[in-house]
Amino acid sequence: MTAVVAEGRLAPARDTSQTMRRIARRRRFIGNTFAGLLGAVLIIWTLIPIYNIVMVSLESHSDVFSNVIWPQHPSLDGFWLVLTQGYWYLEFFWHQYGNSIYLGAAVTILTLVISSLTSFSIGRMRIRHGWLITNAALLTYVIPQSFLAIPFYRIMQAYGLTDNIWAVIAALVTFATPYAIFIFHNYAAAIPMELDESARIDGATPFQIYYKIYLPLMMPALVAVGTYALLLAWNEYLYQFLLLSSKQSMTVPVALAQFLNSDEAPWNYMMATAIIYALPPVLVYYGFRRRMAAGLTMGGVKG
Amino acid sequence: MDASQVLDGNRSLARRARSRMFRGSLQGSEYTWALAFVIPYIAIFLIFVIYPVVYGLWLGSDPASYVELFDDPIYQTTIINTALYLAIGVNVKMFLALLLSGFFMRRGWWVKALLMIYVLPWAVPQLPVFISIHWMLNGDYGLLNNLLFELFGIEGPSWLDSHWLALGSVILAYIWKWMPFWTVILLAGRMAIPQEIHEAAKIDGATGIRSFVHVSFPLLANLYLVCTLLSTIFTVGDFNTATFVSGGGPAFSTFTLATLGIRDAFDLAQPRVGVAAVMTALPLVVPLVIILMRKLRTAEVQL
Amino acid sequence: MGSVTRRSVLRGSLGLVAAGALGCPYIANAAATTATVWWTQGFVPDEDAAFRKLVADYEKASGNKLDYSIVPFAPLRQKEVSAVTSGVVPDVMEDADLEFAALTAWQDQLLDLSDVVETQKSRYSEIALLSRQLYDNRTKERHFYGVPMKTFATPFHIWGDLIEKAGFKTSDIPNTWDKFIDFFVPVQKELQAKGMRHTYASGFVVSTIGVDPINTFNAFVTAYGGDGIVTRDGKLHSEDPKVREAVIQALTRLAKFFKDGHIPPGSVNWNDADDNNAFHSKLCVMDFDGSLSTELAMINDKQAYDHDMLTHPLPMSNDGKQLPAQTGVFGAVIPKGAKNVEVGKDFLKFAIQPQVLNEYLKGGLGRWAIPMPSVAKEDPWWLDPKDPHRMTHTQMALFGPTIPWYEAYSPAIAQVNAEHVFQVAWGDIVNGGMAPDKAADKAFKRAEAIFAKYPIRQS
Repeated sequence: MTAVVAEGRLAPARDTSQTMRRIARRRRFIGNTFAGLLGAVLIIWTLIPIYNIVMVSLESHSDVFSNVIWPQHPSLDGFWLVLTQGYWYLEFFWHQYGNSIYLGAAVTILTLVISSLTSFSIGRMRIRHGWLITNAALLTYVIPQSFLAIPFYRIMQAYGLTDNIWAVIAALVTFATPYAIFIFHNYAAAIPMELDESARIDGATPFQIYYKIYLPLMMPALVAVGTYALLLAWNEYLYQFLLLSSKQSMTVPVALAQFLNSDEAPWNYMMATAIIYALPPVLVYYGFRRRMAAGLTMGGVKG
Repeated sequence: MDASQVLDGNRSLARRARSRMFRGSLQGSEYTWALAFVIPYIAIFLIFVIYPVVYGLWLGSDPASYVELFDDPIYQTTIINTALYLAIGVNVKMFLALLLSGFFMRRGWWVKALLMIYVLPWAVPQLPVFISIHWMLNGDYGLLNNLLFELFGIEGPSWLDSHWLALGSVILAYIWKWMPFWTVILLAGRMAIPQEIHEAAKIDGATGIRSFVHVSFPLLANLYLVCTLLSTIFTVGDFNTATFVSGGGPAFSTFTLATLGIRDAFDLAQPRVGVAAVMTALPLVVPLVIILMRKLRTAEVQL
Repeated sequence: MGSVTRRSVLRGSLGLVAAGALGCPYIANAAATTATVWWTQGFVPDEDAAFRKLVADYEKASGNKLDYSIVPFAPLRQKEVSAVTSGVVPDVMEDADLEFAALTAWQDQLLDLSDVVETQKSRYSEIALLSRQLYDNRTKERHFYGVPMKTFATPFHIWGDLIEKAGFKTSDIPNTWDKFIDFFVPVQKELQAKGMRHTYASGFVVSTIGVDPINTFNAFVTAYGGDGIVTRDGKLHSEDPKVREAVIQALTRLAKFFKDGHIPPGSVNWNDADDNNAFHSKLCVMDFDGSLSTELAMINDKQAYDHDMLTHPLPMSNDGKQLPAQTGVFGAVIPKGAKNVEVGKDFLKFAIQPQVLNEYLKGGLGRWAIPMPSVAKEDPWWLDPKDPHRMTHTQMALFGPTIPWYEAYSPAIAQVNAEHVFQVAWGDIVNGGMAPDKAADKAFKRAEAIFAKYPIRQS
C-alpha cells in the first residue's frame, strides 16, 4: 500500500478509488510504453541478421559484398530457383525437404511420447528407483553431441542401419529425450498430485490419467519441447550426412552445406534456401501456440 | 469436481498416503503400467547410449592425447575463452530469456506477433545464419558498418579483427541464436503458474517487478537452474558459432574447447585428441551434472 | 572452351590412342561386384557430371557396380576420419584435402596401392609420384598410399581492368617477386583516389583458417630462397640459416604489407572462400589462390573470363631465378578394412588410364590439371592459347620447375599446417608487436616439437 501513500500526496483530497484508478492507468501507461520500447529493441535485435540474410537472398552476386544497405537490384530469382530446383545443389530440394519433414515429425513424435511417458511414470507414478533412470539419462550429455558422432557411426554399422534415416532418428531421439524428461519433470512439479490421486480414486487407469489429465495440463511444455525436438531434427546436419550416404536420403541442411564446398557459391540461392527452409517450424510453432494457453486454474480440470 | 469433493478426496488421500508409506509405492497393475511407460526409454538408453558413450570415453582415455593437448600453444587461450563463453554467454542469455519470458506473457495481438518474429533466430539453420553474421560484421562490406556509416556517419570498427571484439561478437551471436529457445521454455514454465496466484498477489498490491521477484521467480527458480545447467553442458559442445562467425580468429583467439576438439579430430585426423579436448571440460561438467541430479530428485515446488 | 581445329583434334586423339595402345591398356576383368566410393563434390556441376560419366563408363566396361556418394569436401573429411577411426570404411575414398592421406598413411590406415600406380607409372609427372609416396609409421617404409589423379598449382589472379582503370598497363607488370607485389600498391592508391574506398592491392590471406594462408606463406618463403625448409627425408631444416632468413623475410614482408593497408583488414579472419568473394567483388586487385577455381567461377561472365581476369604465373625471384611452383596432387586412397578391395583397385586402374583420366578432368572444365605431362602435351586443349587461364595453370603445374606440397615428405607438416604455426607467428608480429625473428623462433620451436613426433626412418 506504500505506493498509494506516495501518490496520495499529489492527488487532491478525493475518493481513494478514483486515485487508485488513476494510478493504475498511469502504471499501465508506463508499462505499455516500456513494453513498446522493449518490443522495438527486440525487433531490431532479432531482425538485423535476418535482414542481412534476406538482403543477400535478393541481391545479385556482385552486390553481396558491397557497401549497400538496401539491395540495389532486388530480384526474387533466388527463391524461384530454389522452388523450381533450378540449381545443381538444389536438384533434389523437394525430395530432401520431404526427408526433413519425415525426420522432423518422427523425432518430434517419438521424443514427446517417450519422454512424457517416462516423466509421467517417474514423476507422477513415482516408480521405484525412477531416479536411477533420470540420472542415467544425464550420461548422454557427458560427451557433447558432436563428439559422439564417430561412436554413433560405428554402432549404426553394427546394428545394420547404415544409410538408413532411422539411424538419424534414433540418434536424435537419444539426444532430445533426456532434456525433454527434465523439462517435463520440472514443469509437472507445479501440477498438484491431488489431481492424479482423485482420478485414481475414481477408478481411472494410469493410462487414462496420463491421457486425460497429465497431457492436457502439460500442453505448454509439450509445445515448447516439441518445437525443440522439431528444430533439433530440422537443423541438424552432422549426424545426417555422417550416417547417410546417398543423395536421396539427404536432408536440406546437408544440401545447404554444399554451398560451403566451393570457394565461390551463389550466396543468394543459399540464403533463399535457408529462408524457405526456416519457415515451416515457425508456422508449426504458431499453429500449436494456441495450445499454450496461459492461466491454468487449480481445480478447473474436467474430471 | 468442486471444492467439497476435492476436500473429501484430500482426506482419503491422506489415509492412502500413510498406508503407502508402509507398503511401498505402486501395486499390481499400476506397477505394470509404470514399468511399461519407462521401458521405451530404457530400451533407447541400453541400445543407443551405453555403447557410444563408453566408446567415446574410451577414445578420450589415452593419456598421450592429453599430453599432446597441453602441448598445443593455443590450449590455454582456448580454456579461457571457453570459460568466458560459458560464464557470460550462458548466464546473460538465460537471464535475458527469463526477463523476456515475462514480457511475452503480456496480452495483446502484437505481443503474439512479436513472439513469432522473435523465434526466427531459433528456426533458421545455423550455417547460413552464422555465415550471414560473419559477413554482417565484416569491417569493409558488412551490413552493420554500412548502417552505421549511412545512418550515423561513423566508421565502425572491424568487429572480428581484434581478440576481444571478436570474442564479444561470437558470444553475442550465440546469445542471439539461442535466447529465443530458452525464452520459450521459460515461457512455458511461467504458464504453469496458476492465474489465481498472480491475481491474489495483485490484490495485495504487488505488480510488475515486485510480482516478478516475490511470486514468479521462486516458482521458476528450479526450472531456471535446471535450464542454466543444461545450457552450460550443451554449450560446451558448441563449435559452430565460433567456427562460422569468427573462424576462430584472429589467430585462434576465439577458439573454444569444442572448436579445438573438432579441429584436432578432423583436420588433424586425430579423433582421440579431439575427444580429449572436450573431456578436459569434464571437471566443470561433472559437478553440474551432480547438481542437476540432486535438483531433479527434489523437484517439488511449494505453491 | 576455346576453339580448336578439326585437324588438331584428330592429331591429338590419334596421339592419345597410340599412347594408350603403347602404355599398358588395362582390361577390366574383375568379378562383377559392388564397391562403395566416396568422392568430393566439384566446384561446378560439370565436375560432378564428369565423375558420374567416369563411373558409368567403368560400370559398362567391367560389369561391376559402384555405389558412390558425392560429398562436399569439408563434410567428406569428417566422414573419412570417422570411417577410418571406427573401422567402417568404404572401398575407395578421394582425398578431401592434402593432409588426410599423409596422416592416415602414417597411422597405417591405408592400403598400399603400388600395383595400381605401376600400371601408369611412366606417364605420371615426378611430382605426382613424389606426392603419393607416403610414409607408414608401422612398417617404417614409403609406399604409394594413394593414386594421383588431379594436380594444381597456385597462380596469381589479377583484374586487368582495374589496372587499366588506375591508369597502368598490364604489360607493365614486373617480373621479379618484390617488384611484382609492389606494383599493385600505386594501383590501389589510384583506385582509392577515384572513390573505390574499399579496394586493396592484394587479397593475400593472412588468417589461421584453411589452406590459402599456408599456400601464401609457402610461396613467399620459396621466393626468398627457403624452399629447403622441409626436405625429401622428412626433416625440418630450421637450423639452416638460409631457411631461417627466408621465413623471417616472408613474415616481415607480409606483416608490413598488411600494416601498410594493402591487404583488406578482414583478411585475418578469412576462410578459403572469403578471398574468392573479395576478389570477385573487386575488393582486391590481385589474389593468390590455388587451381583455376577463381576463374572458373566466373566462366559464364564472358567479359570477366575472356578479358578482364588475368592468370599470372609466379614471377621470378628477386635475383632473376625461376621460382618453383608448389604443386599439389589429389587422388584416391583405399582404406584398410575395405570390403571390396578388388573392385576398388580395378576402378582406380580404369580411372587413371590416360584417355579416361583426361576426359574426366576435361569434363571438369580443367580446374585441375592432369598429372601426366605427356597427355597435356598431346591434347592441345590443355595448352590452348585461346584460354590463357588454363594454359598458364597447366604450364605452371606440369612444365615449369615444381616442388610438391610438403605433406609428401612428412605428415608432420600436416599438423604444422593444421595448427597454422607460421600464421600464428604472423599474428604475433602484427597483433602482438613481436619482433619478426622472435616470432619466427617461436614458430620454429613449435614446428620442431611437432616434427619430433613424426620421426622418419631413412631407408
